[in-house]
Amino acid sequence: MSDFLRNRFRSYYISPEISFPERFPRREYAFIFFGGKQMVRHVAFKKREDILTMMRRRVPMHTYYSSAYYEKPDAPTMSEKGWMGADLIFDLDADHLPGAEKMSYEGMLREVKNELKKLLSFLMDDFGFGEENLSIYFSGGRGYHCHVNHPKVRGLGSQERREIVDYITGRGLDKQSIFRERVVETRNYGDRVVPVKRLEMPGTEEAGWRGRISRTIVDIIKEIREDRERGVERLKEYGLSVSKAERIIDGLSDARVKRIEEGLLDQSSDIRGFFLRSAIEKSAVSLSTGKPDEPVTADIKRLIRLPGSLHGKTGLVVQSIKMDELDGFDPLRDAVVFGDTSVKLNVLKTVKIRMMGEDFSLHPGETEVPEYLAVFMVARGMATV
Amino acid sequence: MNIYTLARYPFLNEARDFVRKENVSTGEILHDPLYGRARETGIQRVNDALEKGVVGDYTTVDETDAMINIFSYPVARMITGSIGSDYLRGRYALAEAKRAYLNLKNEEDDFVAEVSKELGMDVDDELKIYFTDYLKNAPTWSEKWKLSNMPLRNGMVRLKKVELARLLQEILRKRIYNELLLLRPPPEVKRVFGEEITRITNILQRKEMEGKVEMGKASVSKFPPCMRQLLAAAQSGINIPHVGRFALVTFLHSAGMDTDEILRIFSKSPDYDEERTRYQIEHITGKISGTEYNAPGCSSIKTWGLCPVEKMDDVCRRVSHPLSYYRYKWRKKK
Repeated sequence: MSDFLRNRFRSYYISPEISFPERFPRREYAFIFFGGKQMVRHVAFKKREDILTMMRRRVPMHTYYSSAYYEKPDAPTMSEKGWMGADLIFDLDADHLPGAEKMSYEGMLREVKNELKKLLSFLMDDFGFGEENLSIYFSGGRGYHCHVNHPKVRGLGSQERREIVDYITGRGLDKQSIFRERVVETRNYGDRVVPVKRLEMPGTEEAGWRGRISRTIVDIIKEIREDRERGVERLKEYGLSVSKAERIIDGLSDARVKRIEEGLLDQSSDIRGFFLRSAIEKSAVSLSTGKPDEPVTADIKRLIRLPGSLHGKTGLVVQSIKMDELDGFDPLRDAVVFGDTSVKLNVLKTVKIRMMGEDFSLHPGETEVPEYLAVFMVARGMATV
Repeated sequence: MNIYTLARYPFLNEARDFVRKENVSTGEILHDPLYGRARETGIQRVNDALEKGVVGDYTTVDETDAMINIFSYPVARMITGSIGSDYLRGRYALAEAKRAYLNLKNEEDDFVAEVSKELGMDVDDELKIYFTDYLKNAPTWSEKWKLSNMPLRNGMVRLKKVELARLLQEILRKRIYNELLLLRPPPEVKRVFGEEITRITNILQRKEMEGKVEMGKASVSKFPPCMRQLLAAAQSGINIPHVGRFALVTFLHSAGMDTDEILRIFSKSPDYDEERTRYQIEHITGKISGTEYNAPGCSSIKTWGLCPVEKMDDVCRRVSHPLSYYRYKWRKKK
């Protein structure tokens, strides 16, 4: 089985379109080979031609490089390697989405793309990175990678990177201080002056999370008011009971919505709490940030797939995506590198899939399919040749 | 800048230039009766750093006072540098930085911005700084200072004056500490301040003795080499990287120590700040965060460069978690 894949991969690696990382010789490279269980690590190359020669000869199933660059990238331990700096990399993967196991491959990728867009909004609006600092890649598997390349972030330590991750995932937000009391008017009772206080939302134009939360609350309200029935459905998705959802929607009179848009949130505290929670949830990015018991591994030394290499479990290529092509990007068309020569295949289970713009419906047994589909099916373990 | 301002911020380049322009030799500063008060105030600075954790705001009634204060700063650095204790270097750097913070927060915005630029941190007219500068210098271990709670837009964090002053404290602490590491005071400093240096060295030794606190329920002799090493570093006041603190605190917590016991161990650290350390410990042990972090295993310890490979023993090779080592040793005893 792996002979077929290996041969196909070999044919690709004759003239692959690899985009090499900056500081190429300072990176650590790592490989997993067909039939090999262990990752081969701590490899370094002086010239680009050297890694290509190696890939052609040994045909790796998976190829990685280190986000960090080192004095001695091929040294066996971190302390001997001599860390010099690292790109900032965000890894968005379907594994980390709630309910991913129930989604189709296409569905998962759509969801992850949504997370990616939220991430880009944080990186560009809040962190001020320009398109020239950001590279987006389809991972070849079930997600996207975003690489930030900016001279100021290379030297950041893991603690500082963790803060960036916390920002983007909304961790550590001081929720108590988001809404503040404001005196809107004073009333006179005889000779006593009594202030009338209202809870004030942050202005939608405010910087940071505060403004973001207000903008999202306004969005959510628009969304649920458009159509009462669908509004109730949406609120149920945010975890509310039907009766509570109806109560919220019916409470949103025009006058009240106007007051909210002006920044006054005079709902009861549980509804305020609901808006705050859902606004945070809706804005925050679900990232693969490592296990919760590793609070300091906003990794400064992780391995990422080499752009232009093949993913051994899909046969798809780690594909660079331009920002303005993100919306239309379809991995099962745009990350396919193999041709359509007919290949005989033994399908193991029923599969419906759209690839290269064509719909396939396959059933267990022998059949002939284009090479690109054969590679995908064999790599995913859904067929043999 | 007038001389009174320089006296409050003797670390500024302008204060250095002032000293240089006076054209006084180190010999004069160390011996000439004219600088007797500068020498006394220099000793005072080191004492205050050691005893109070912050240097004083020494009286400046007239220009002579101001000049004495300016000169006392290089004197204090020479004394600290001569003693060569890392604990004292850290403690002194922090004490000077804290004094600067206390003064800076009462200055005009423009002035604080100017000091910031001189210390290498760019800041604009609205007191906005680039977020990487913020992350490097803000005490983000506290919720109030987390980047998530700051007004971040286009890469810039807008600060209040007092916040900017707090960041400058941290920059200054690092800068003074690093300068002290490189400082090579002339040997005669030890002769001139012999008595004082002996006294301070004694205090430092006493502090070190106090550091070897009773370990409560935990038994140090059963700790794995990595934890013994981290513990020794914490007790002798050597600064431990963040991951090291994390590893040590989670380990000690699992070994049965409570917050106060752990706190006592860290109290000897040169940048010890009880409130901050308590916060960190309670955060890690789940008392305030709701998440009780587990002690990291050997693979993480190795990745973080905290495993003293040369000290590994047979039990180390048998286990993959520092706590397994500890428990194994307990079982062995029975």
